[in-house]
Amino acid sequence: MEMAGWAFVAGFPLALDRRYEAETHMWVLVTEPGRARIGMDPVGIETSGTLAQLSFAPVGTELAVGRPFGQLEAAKFVGPLVSPVSGVVLGVNDAVAANAGLAERDPYGAGWLIEAGLDESGGELAGLLADPAEITAWFTTKIARYRLEGVIAQ
Amino acid sequence: MVVRELQAPVGTGDAAGVSPEYVRISMASAIALRMHSGRFSRDFDFGGINVLLNYQEACRSDCGYCGLARERPGGHADRSFIRVEWPLVRTDELVTRLARFEPALTRLCISMVTHGLAYRDTCDITRRITARIGTPISVLVAPPTIKRERLENLKTLGVDMIGVGLDAVTEDLFWRIRTDVAAGGLSWDKYWEVIGDAREIFGPWKVNIHTLVGLGETDKDLLALFVALRDRQIFSYLFCFNPEPDSRLAAWPQPPLARWHRVQLARHLIEARGFGLEQFDFDDEGRIARIRAARSVLDAVVAEGTAFMTDGCPSGNGGPGCTRPYGSYRPAEPFRDYPFAPTPGDLEGIRRLLGLDDLIN
Repeated sequence: MEMAGWAFVAGFPLALDRRYEAETHMWVLVTEPGRARIGMDPVGIETSGTLAQLSFAPVGTELAVGRPFGQLEAAKFVGPLVSPVSGVVLGVNDAVAANAGLAERDPYGAGWLIEAGLDESGGELAGLLADPAEITAWFTTKIARYRLEGVIAQ
Repeated sequence: MVVRELQAPVGTGDAAGVSPEYVRISMASAIALRMHSGRFSRDFDFGGINVLLNYQEACRSDCGYCGLARERPGGHADRSFIRVEWPLVRTDELVTRLARFEPALTRLCISMVTHGLAYRDTCDITRRITARIGTPISVLVAPPTIKRERLENLKTLGVDMIGVGLDAVTEDLFWRIRTDVAAGGLSWDKYWEVIGDAREIFGPWKVNIHTLVGLGETDKDLLALFVALRDRQIFSYLFCFNPEPDSRLAAWPQPPLARWHRVQLARHLIEARGFGLEQFDFDDEGRIARIRAARSVLDAVVAEGTAFMTDGCPSGNGGPGCTRPYGSYRPAEPFRDYPFAPTPGDLEGIRRLLGLDDLIN
């Protein structure tokens, strides 16, 4: 199946209209100048296991690249949600906080996590994956690695 | 705190989806066998596979704390057990996976439920497993379905350990939570009859009793049972009460972490170090108030860490076999029992909670 702006890799949908942080599987979609929506891609979610709860820092919290802005809890795993950008939390997705399954079902849409006001002084956006070919290659490699590690069901 | 509804099981299969053709497996088992995606918070070797019989009617018992209780609201397929989803899988597919991952497996456990077909199906599933792999097998029996000859047959089939989920550690508590309830009727005497038969048939240290901390018993109740079981060369395995949503005890609190760790320590001292009940003092509420032991002994036991690890059936070489990661707590909560040797940092936290200075003086 082919759809404009999308790729499908090993059964996982991959939105190509946004940027990705390669280690944490966070996506960043700039919605207007200085503002972005942040979420986690389906492979990041899948490899965590069945989600139990997503929690976020409150609106107004400062964001820094590589620092947590929340927590992901799955059936047998808990870990930080790590920010791919610097700035400030402008909004959190209350729906996904109330029902983490939303992020599993619609990771690029209704399952977004937070909205951020961007501090672009450090040029951090440029450090994220943005080229569709690069994104697809990265995604493919990561899935292969996760299969080897055994964190994706076979 | 909101926990999302559980999703459909891994294998939906035919309409029936019941044992012996289907079983449920713990989420940790499903991850280890790569039947479900996911990972553990801390990296450790996991090889203790837990299998649960599955029937449309769930369990015919009605224990107030259990996710499988007959009168708990919701369909069986929607129910959690020990608070997490137990994926439904085809038994033959499971056996194939077990064979594939056999070198990593440490122990298999088949948990019966109270159901008229549970014994027949346990035998069937055991045969399918032992035909292909040699990992040691335990059966957690449902005493209402068991008699002596059936235990003997399980041994013949290759089962090497028997578990009994007594859970409530006094006869009164057992009556209130497991007998005198809507669809209850479980018999304390029957449980002990099965424990006695299992001990005779399977031998010393081949039988284990599950004890649930936090149902309203005192520390003294628990320790008295640990001593009695130890004297009969029967293992006591500790489980920490963890409220199951929608169960009758959903609003019942978990025991405080400090109490839990003290009970873990005491159980270990009794079972591994030969302590008697007289080496513990209790306050008016039956709580452990003092341990009559040298501080150096307690320090050494805490430093070793084994007391705080999950106690479960051993692997073939005597090491930890069944470790049930996150079985009594959520991953975001502090560890209750450790499925691996606790780190120095873990032990520091345990030491603070234990308050050994208070227990010695």
